[in-house]
Formats: sequence, C-alpha cells, structure tokens
Amino acid sequence: MARMKFLCDAERCIECNGCVTACKQENEVPWGVNRRRVVTINDGVVGAEKSISVACMHCSDAPCMAVCPVDCFYRTEDGVVLHDKDLCIGCGYCFYACPFGAPQFPQAGAFGLRGKMDKCTFCAGGPEPDRSEAEFQKYGRNRLAEGKLPACAEMCSTKALLGGDGDVIADIYRDRVLRRGKGSEVWGWGTAYGPGKPGAAPAQPRKS
Amino acid sequence: MQGITRLIAAFSAAALIAGPAAAQAPAEQKADEVPSPQQAERERAAAQPGNNAPVWKEVRSGQPNYTSIPGRETDVLIQPGARFPGQSHFSTAGEAWRQFRNGVVTFYGGWLVVLVLVAILAFYFAKGPVKLHEPPTGRLMLRFTDFERIVHWSTAISFCILAVSGLVMLFGKHLLLPLIGATLFAWLTMLGKNLHNFVAPFFIVSVVVMVIIWLRDNLPRAVDLQWLNPAKVWGFFAHSEHIPSGRFNGGEKIWFWAGVLGLSIVMAWSGLVLLFPNFDQTRAAMQDAWVWHASAAMLYICASLGHIYMGTIGVEGAYGNMRNGYTDETWAKEHHELWYLEHKGDRRVGGTGGAVPAGAPHMKENA
Amino acid sequence: MKKLLFVMGALFLVSACTERQQVIDQASEKRYQGKRDTQPWDNDPLAYAKAAPNSFAAPSWNKGDRASWETQIKARNERQNENKRIGD
Ligand code: SF4
Ligand code: SF4
Repeated sequence: MARMKFLCDAERCIECNGCVTACKQENEVPWGVNRRRVVTINDGVVGAEKSISVACMHCSDAPCMAVCPVDCFYRTEDGVVLHDKDLCIGCGYCFYACPFGAPQFPQAGAFGLRGKMDKCTFCAGGPEPDRSEAEFQKYGRNRLAEGKLPACAEMCSTKALLGGDGDVIADIYRDRVLRRGKGSEVWGWGTAYGPGKPGAAPAQPRKS
Repeated sequence: MQGITRLIAAFSAAALIAGPAAAQAPAEQKADEVPSPQQAERERAAAQPGNNAPVWKEVRSGQPNYTSIPGRETDVLIQPGARFPGQSHFSTAGEAWRQFRNGVVTFYGGWLVVLVLVAILAFYFAKGPVKLHEPPTGRLMLRFTDFERIVHWSTAISFCILAVSGLVMLFGKHLLLPLIGATLFAWLTMLGKNLHNFVAPFFIVSVVVMVIIWLRDNLPRAVDLQWLNPAKVWGFFAHSEHIPSGRFNGGEKIWFWAGVLGLSIVMAWSGLVLLFPNFDQTRAAMQDAWVWHASAAMLYICASLGHIYMGTIGVEGAYGNMRNGYTDETWAKEHHELWYLEHKGDRRVGGTGGAVPAGAPHMKENA
Repeated sequence: MKKLLFVMGALFLVSACTERQQVIDQASEKRYQGKRDTQPWDNDPLAYAKAAPNSFAAPSWNKGDRASWETQIKARNERQNENKRIGD
C-alpha cells in the first residue's frame, strides 16, 4: 500500500521557488495563499546556506486533524490528509497546531477575518467528485486521480523535492546518499511521521 | 528556553495583566555580547562543511530564516518546542498546544462545568431555594434603574451567546456532531463563530459600563467579611440565615471583582489577540492566548452558573428585582439590610428613577 | 424522573471529555460525517495515457483496480530518480 510522503533534499534545493510557482499555477491557489514555500537557512553565509521547500507533510498523527472543531479532516488510504472546505469555519486552530505552518487562510473580510482554510492536498483534490469542476474550484487539481504525482515534486529541476510513495522516494534518496556520501537527513520526517511516543503504532488512515 | 518562559508566564499573575503576547516577547539580545547561538551554529556550519548537525539544529529551533514568501511566520520551518503546564516533555509548540487543548482543557474544563452544574442542582433538590421569612409588605423599593438593567441584560445575554458558542466550538465535535451530522453542525458552528466574534466587542463594552456604574457600590465593607466565613455562607444557602449587607453583599462583590472585572480582563485581552490575526502576532502568542481564553472561560462559565442559579431559582425574589427593577421592602430587609436601612422609604434609591409608577410590578404574595 | 434525566444529562456531558483516535476502526469509520471522497483509482486514466502507452506516458491502470494504479504511480515515481531515468 502506498503511503504518500514528501522529502526535500537540503543538499540540492537551490531556492528557485519553482515548486511554489508550479503549485500556484497547477492548483490556481487563492490570492494571498502559498501552499508551498521555500525557506533558506543561513541565507548568504557561504558554505552554511541550505534551502528547504516545505508544505503540508501529511502527518501520520496529524495535529490539525485533532484540533479541528468541526472535524472536517480525513486521511485517505494513501495517507494524504485532506479537508472539507464546506465544513471549515476558518477558526485557525489547524494553523496553530500544525508544526510546519501549512494551513493558510485567504482573508475573507476586514480585520484579518479568516476564510476557508487552504493547504497542500498532495495534488489529491478534496471530497468533491474526482476531477470535477467543483473539486478544482475548491481544492485544485486532482493529479493522483489522473495517475500523476504532485506537480511541485514532478517539476523540481534539481529533483531536490521528492513526492510520492514513501518507500519509493526513500529508496531514491538512499541511492542518492550512497552515491554522494553525505546529507542523509530526511527533513521533517521525525516530526511528521515519527510515532509520537516510543513504541506507539503509527496512525492508520481514516477512510474518506 | 521558550517552554520555561511559557511556564513562568502561565503561573505569574503579572502575565494576567501583561497578557499572553507580552509573555511571548523574545529575550532581548545585546549586540556587543558573545556571538548568539545562531551565529555560533552558522560559523560551525561554515567551518565544518561535511557536518549538517548545525543546520538541522536551526531547523528545529523555530527561528526565523529567510523566505521570499510573504505572510506571517512563513520563514519558520518547524514551530519551536514548547511545554504547557502539566506536560513533562517538550514537543513542537503546535503539538503541545494540541495536547493541552484536547487533553487538559477539554477534560478538566469539561468536568469542572459538569460538576459545578451537578453540585448546584443537587443542592437545589436537597435544600431548596433561599426563602423569605416574612410575607412581602407590598411596598416597593427601586433596586435597579432602567439603565442598570439594560446594562446588566446586555452583558448577560451577550455572555450567554459567547459561552454557548464557545462551548460548541470546544465540545460540539463530541456532543453535537454525532447527533446532528456534519453539515448542520458546521453551519451552526460557523454561525457560532461569527456570533462569538461580533458579540465579543459588545460584551466588552457592556462590561466596561457595568464596572463603571457599579464600582462604588461594590467597594468592600467590613460587613462583607462574613461572606468569607464558610459557616455563615452555608447558613445563608442552606437555612436562609440572614447576613447583613449593603447594596451588594460579599458574594456579589467577589463575583464583581474576580469575575466581572478580573476574568473579563483575561477574556477580553486573550480574545482580542485571537480575534485580530492581522496584527502579525505569532502562533505561539495565539496558542498562549487560547489557553488563557479557554481556561478563564471555564472558570467564568462555572461562576456564572452559580450567579444564574442565585439570580433565578436559588434565591426567592432575586430574579424579579433585576427583571422589574423593584424589590419588596421585606426582601430588601432580609437580604440587604444596611441598604434597606439607609434607603427605607426612599423610592429613588437607584439614582435616576422617579417615583414608583402606578403600574409598577409587585412582588408575588406567595411567601 | 427529573433526577434521572439530570443524571443522564450529566453522563452525556462527561462523555465529551476525550480526544478522538485517528486510528481507523469500525466506530471511527462510521463517525466521520463529512462528505465521502472517492479513491484515485476509481477514475479512468486520462485519454492520452490510455490510448497509447508510449515513452511519454507511463503505462496506465485499470479503473477500480488499486494494485494497478499503485504500480503505475510507483513507476511514475521512479521518474524522479534521475540516476535511473538518465543513467549514470
Ligand atoms: S503538516 Fe500540518 S497541515 Fe499537514 S497534516 Fe501535518 S499538521 Fe496537518
Ligand atoms: S480553520 Fe477550518 S480546517 Fe482549520 S481547524 Fe478551523 S474549522 Fe478546521
């Protein structure tokens, strides 16, 4: 069974923000919202600069899901964390709880009133019928239902950003690390997929 | 480090006033001191190109980095570690907040409200309301002016809207959602959230006015100390024994100072931090504000349950006073003797009212 | 009667004091009340992929067959490995 994950190789990311742009255009993301962003550590320090692309990591035991007052999240059988915008009340709790700051809110009114939460869907749309107009309007393209993988990872020019079945991308990465002999850290996996307590079983999908 | 700051903040009374945002203020760094840890890690990373540990340390630190994406905290990769009161170890701030919210606040807060409700109702069924000893005289005294009653009911009704919508947002997922289904529940919660947001400023204004108009009558007096004596208080509730008091008694004064004033300040401040996300406050500030907001709300709701009980079924005649503004002399004498003695026969006690109008309601003669 | 109702009400309220499991079991399966999503493999492959499996399109899958969809997704996933795609 496939378990969808993202992996960003900090050794390779050149901070071109191509993934951000690809995501925005593929999903026609609302104004003011970026589902993916690139963060540079030690910007401008020669030898110490590293960039990482980050979006929703589709956590195993997702804090966003746990705090949502209307319980609008679900996890697909591929491990993708999705939500129902028709139910979302824009309370912002998922944004407080998410370790990666993935949930974003288009401004819906004066004084910073939050609209419906928007976040990376792993290019898997939402609960509307797959590949329908309604789904595209609310969540963007459903590439998984087209047999494709997330646009950001597929177009990454240096292949720093890998996205797809966790086993496959881990293999690709292992292969790569062996070849270059350094930089083996898998960014954010401990936070997103690690069992919360030692010995705890990872969460299973809640079917949509 | 931040977790310790949080702990201190959570327990210090100063933070009550300074507010959650202030508790989050980062420690100031002086430029001329030894290089900051961040600087040291940078140098380490440059000096040891094969060693990625410094970079990953910075990733987990929650420090702001560089990003070209606009927005608040987009330059933070992972929220820093944090620990809320009662948590034994640090976890990502969001995760810590999730555990505090879904664990401590939901569990203890929920139990607290339920237990207070149970205790009040159990008491009512066991002992019944506080009764008058003598029949009403039929002579009325003005206890609350129209303005006072308008302010009271504005506060009370907005409080109830806030409390119910707040409870729905915390517990509705478990209680209501399974009963009424996601579509209706989400619609109700959306309505509740918007009511919560728009009624809150109205509530704050009402409380401010209320505090101003009743401040003088709530200044503590020596007689009020009796309300700190459990035996006396028990005697009052269980056996309707009289405790002399001025316009407001000791219990009402505690409610005024600790509840209406104290808790309202906590609620209003933390609520405003949550209400206006456009001031670029951090997630940590909003998490802390939420913890203050929800914890104080639980206490406020419990205290208000007590107040509502005493104002309705718990004390005979109390509800009519706030509803109509007039009270019978017997009631005044038995509950607020000093006030009664000061103002006996004076029908303009409340301040602005005139003589009792012809149609003024009378207390029911059923004691 | 009143007391019974009251005790029942209290128990009902107390039942709120939990965090939900995200682990799937029969209870949680029923509990999720939102819209049901369909599975990605319950769709037809896009026309171009279906028409002519060639070097530009990964072999497609059969509608409703999870295993074949996963095989195709994994094959596509391998295209993110430039060591394999381009060769050494
Ligand atoms: S990364 Fe954030 S939004 Fe995505 S599943 Fe995890 S907690 Fe939820
Ligand atoms: S903002 Fe929407 S999705 Fe996020 S916790 Fe609130 S209701 Fe749930």
